[in-house]
Amino acid sequence: MSEVARILIGPLVWLALFTATYALHGIACSQAWYDVDALGLSLMRVVLLAAWLATIAVAGAILLALLRPPLGSRSPFVRTVSLATAATGLVAAVWTLFPVATNSICMA
Amino acid sequence: MSGLARHRRLTRIWASRPGFRGWFSSVNHTDLGKMFIVAALVFFAIGGILGMLIRAQLATPHSAFVGPEIYNQIFTMHGTIMMFLFAIPTFEGLAIYLLPKLLGTRDLAFPRLTAYGFWCYIFGGSMLIVSLLLGIAPNSGWFMYPPLSGAIYSPGINTDFWLIGITFVEISAISAAVEITVSILRYRAPGMSLDKMPIFAWYALVTALMILTGFPPLILGSILLELERAFGLPFFQADLGGDSLLWQHLFWLFGHPEVYIIFLPAAGVISTVLPVMCRTSLLGYGWVVAAAVGLAFLSFGLWVHHMFTTGIPNMALAFFSAASTLVAVPTAVQIFAWIGTMWRGRPDLRLPMLYILAFFATFVIGGLTGVMVAVVPFDWQVHDTAFITAHLHYVLFGGFVFPMLGGLYYWLPHFTGRTRYFFLGETAFGLVFIGFHGTFLAMHWVGLLGQRRRIDTYDADAGWTAINLASSIGSFVLLIGLALVLIDVVLHVILSARGRRNPWHAGTLEWAMITPPPAYNFASLPRVSTREPLWTDPELPNRLVRGEGYLGDPPTDRRETMIVDIASGEPREIVVFPRNTALPIVFAAITGVFFLSLLIKVYWITPLALAAMAVMAWRWTWSIGDRTDAGPQPAGQGLTLPLATERDRSPGWWGSLFLLTANATLFGSLIFGYAFLWTIAPGWPPSEWLVPSILEAVVAIGGTLAGTLAIRAASVANRKGAGCVPALAVALIGALAAAVALGLLMARIPDPTGHAYGATLLVLAGYALFHALLIALMIAFLIARVRAGYVSPIRRAELGVVRLWADYVAAVAAITIVLVNLPGWVA
Repeated sequence: MSEVARILIGPLVWLALFTATYALHGIACSQAWYDVDALGLSLMRVVLLAAWLATIAVAGAILLALLRPPLGSRSPFVRTVSLATAATGLVAAVWTLFPVATNSICMA
Repeated sequence: MSGLARHRRLTRIWASRPGFRGWFSSVNHTDLGKMFIVAALVFFAIGGILGMLIRAQLATPHSAFVGPEIYNQIFTMHGTIMMFLFAIPTFEGLAIYLLPKLLGTRDLAFPRLTAYGFWCYIFGGSMLIVSLLLGIAPNSGWFMYPPLSGAIYSPGINTDFWLIGITFVEISAISAAVEITVSILRYRAPGMSLDKMPIFAWYALVTALMILTGFPPLILGSILLELERAFGLPFFQADLGGDSLLWQHLFWLFGHPEVYIIFLPAAGVISTVLPVMCRTSLLGYGWVVAAAVGLAFLSFGLWVHHMFTTGIPNMALAFFSAASTLVAVPTAVQIFAWIGTMWRGRPDLRLPMLYILAFFATFVIGGLTGVMVAVVPFDWQVHDTAFITAHLHYVLFGGFVFPMLGGLYYWLPHFTGRTRYFFLGETAFGLVFIGFHGTFLAMHWVGLLGQRRRIDTYDADAGWTAINLASSIGSFVLLIGLALVLIDVVLHVILSARGRRNPWHAGTLEWAMITPPPAYNFASLPRVSTREPLWTDPELPNRLVRGEGYLGDPPTDRRETMIVDIASGEPREIVVFPRNTALPIVFAAITGVFFLSLLIKVYWITPLALAAMAVMAWRWTWSIGDRTDAGPQPAGQGLTLPLATERDRSPGWWGSLFLLTANATLFGSLIFGYAFLWTIAPGWPPSEWLVPSILEAVVAIGGTLAGTLAIRAASVANRKGAGCVPALAVALIGALAAAVALGLLMARIPDPTGHAYGATLLVLAGYALFHALLIALMIAFLIARVRAGYVSPIRRAELGVVRLWADYVAAVAAITIVLVNLPGWVA
């Protein structure tokens, strides 16, 4: 089962962190963080950018960890597939959360 | 033992009963797979005829062919049948028939569950077809959006048929998904490590896992909508704290993965058939596996692209638009792998290959229009127009029907043992291809001209008449083509001459047996060392017949196969399968009575049906296992293995794990719904919060926690050879105490018909109560089994299964108590 988990972990983490970012956006809107200044930007923008970068960092760390044991598999096949799916998770984190972090606004 | 003697002996052990009666008591995957496929094709024919009626209606403006009320039923049932009664069951049927043969084993993990799922599918599907014949079929569209589908705007029984019938059918999908997942992970030929699995098995595994996580949101949505319609619990009524958008989220959380649940099995067929047609192996096997897994995950991040015009937040538009474009990448990886395979091989343009080429032409167009509608401004322009209808048919017909027709012709000699003689298939292919594109290419055009979906008529001066007529003519060409396919297949089955084994010179194990396949699949189980065992070892079929594999000389009349390690594929245990029984069909019939009682609202029958189901479940599980320790058993080739019931993690444990995965997804969806209503829906906060009760919380959480700890103590005691009944009795008392506390909680909840808050709390607490009662029943069963001598320090698998469920119930109780009381505590 651990070999299957290695294949699934990259995109699974992306799904979890995307859900967390979605929830964070909801909290930011409900608490009106878009009206709070932080580092020259709105607090909402800073928080979402931080969440995006954190997601990329976690996805990247998983990809690196899968390169060698103990998280990486000793089976060449499972290692290849798990690295490919982890890379999918990383690319998905960069691509799908980019507009959320940089452009999202709250409904009036 | 000679090959013939072995064949006769194994046939006597594994075959279904002869004649008509055998249909109702068979648990054999070959029989049930064929029954699934035939039933799915019957539903396909019904759905296809409904499609023709739609096209007949739209062929001319102001058509009087059918009125709007019947038309609404027709298009609703067309979509419903094609999605739920044709596409998914076709995958289930093909997987049920093929997987054990591809994996080199004798049956799926839970043969009786296969039969139960099949009969639930037949009964549930029949329920929907009866509604159609009576003129009271669902009429709110296959997506059943409230408020249109709510009790106010759809007061009749039509919508209830959909909600209850589809939920009934989905039992079949969940059963098959559990079955397929456990079978692929554990029931394989010795030596078949993950990297040597047939590519179709990878696709089936990914699809099954998607069903387990994709279907529960829709099941939950159906339950909530039926509760609203039947009892006035306002989950989707905006004036009472509900929100109709919640339905759309739950529906499309299922609905978009559903597209890939349909596509991925077809991709598995292509990845299996294409290399054989090109006389080479699949290029980039590992990349294709990774692409399938990636596609599955990304598909769960796309559902909102069906909701771009609902006024959802900008953030969601951005995210889901980006994800919708990204999903094209793993799809393209597979397409390029297939093109590369053709490039490397020598394509042979036989009928299965023609269908695969048709798939390429059609699916790529559908994929490209999919990228177009992933872009929000374009989607706003074409949403709810015939352009979308055309797009989804290019994806679903192109991505599923064409590959499946290719697969049908590829495996037809396997089903029948005959060789093709009547070459109607090529003509049929031409008509299907031309008819399909004639129908739906035109529909893109008329959609861009502004024709909306689901309209039953249009004005003559709209400028759509000629295009609609051309589309309708195309659809009838398509129908003639499909009818010719049917005639070709029937003639093949009845009249064609016997053919030789493995006519395509394929390398996978399903061709290592005589055809049509014997009930036991393999006379002895093979050891494999490559992905195409028949290419590396052409003598393998003969050696298996001679009994030179595993389990080739059954010492008893038990139905036996092997369980292997997930990663390495090395043999670990022997499993004994149940024999033919009518239990699944009877159980499915009682399940049908339960759903029927809800449909016709005769609620006094409902608890009786539930009690009868509990009795059936008790009887079902009672027949498993032995009263004596068997110890290591001979498996052939000098190998001895323990029985699966004498290990901690039996097949039942694995089945429970994946069933609980689906169950947890349903629970998670319910929590999502609660959070959604709380934060998004209008009319919140409610007028009153539930007053927290420390005593209830302590008893509910403590009772289930004590239960799971006591079962652990019972496991330890059993291993030491001491009595485990006292600990199990403590667990039972804990579960019952928790049930009482949860029952009292339900009684205190604020009026569930007055606000969505109370309604949601009622469902949350009801879910926890149901599970507390369920685990109490399981513990009582376990006590009875221990006392009857079915459990010993060696035969300990049942303790592991109940412990797994008890852990889940403890988690559910704790989470429910926190969620239910949280607003009151905060307030």
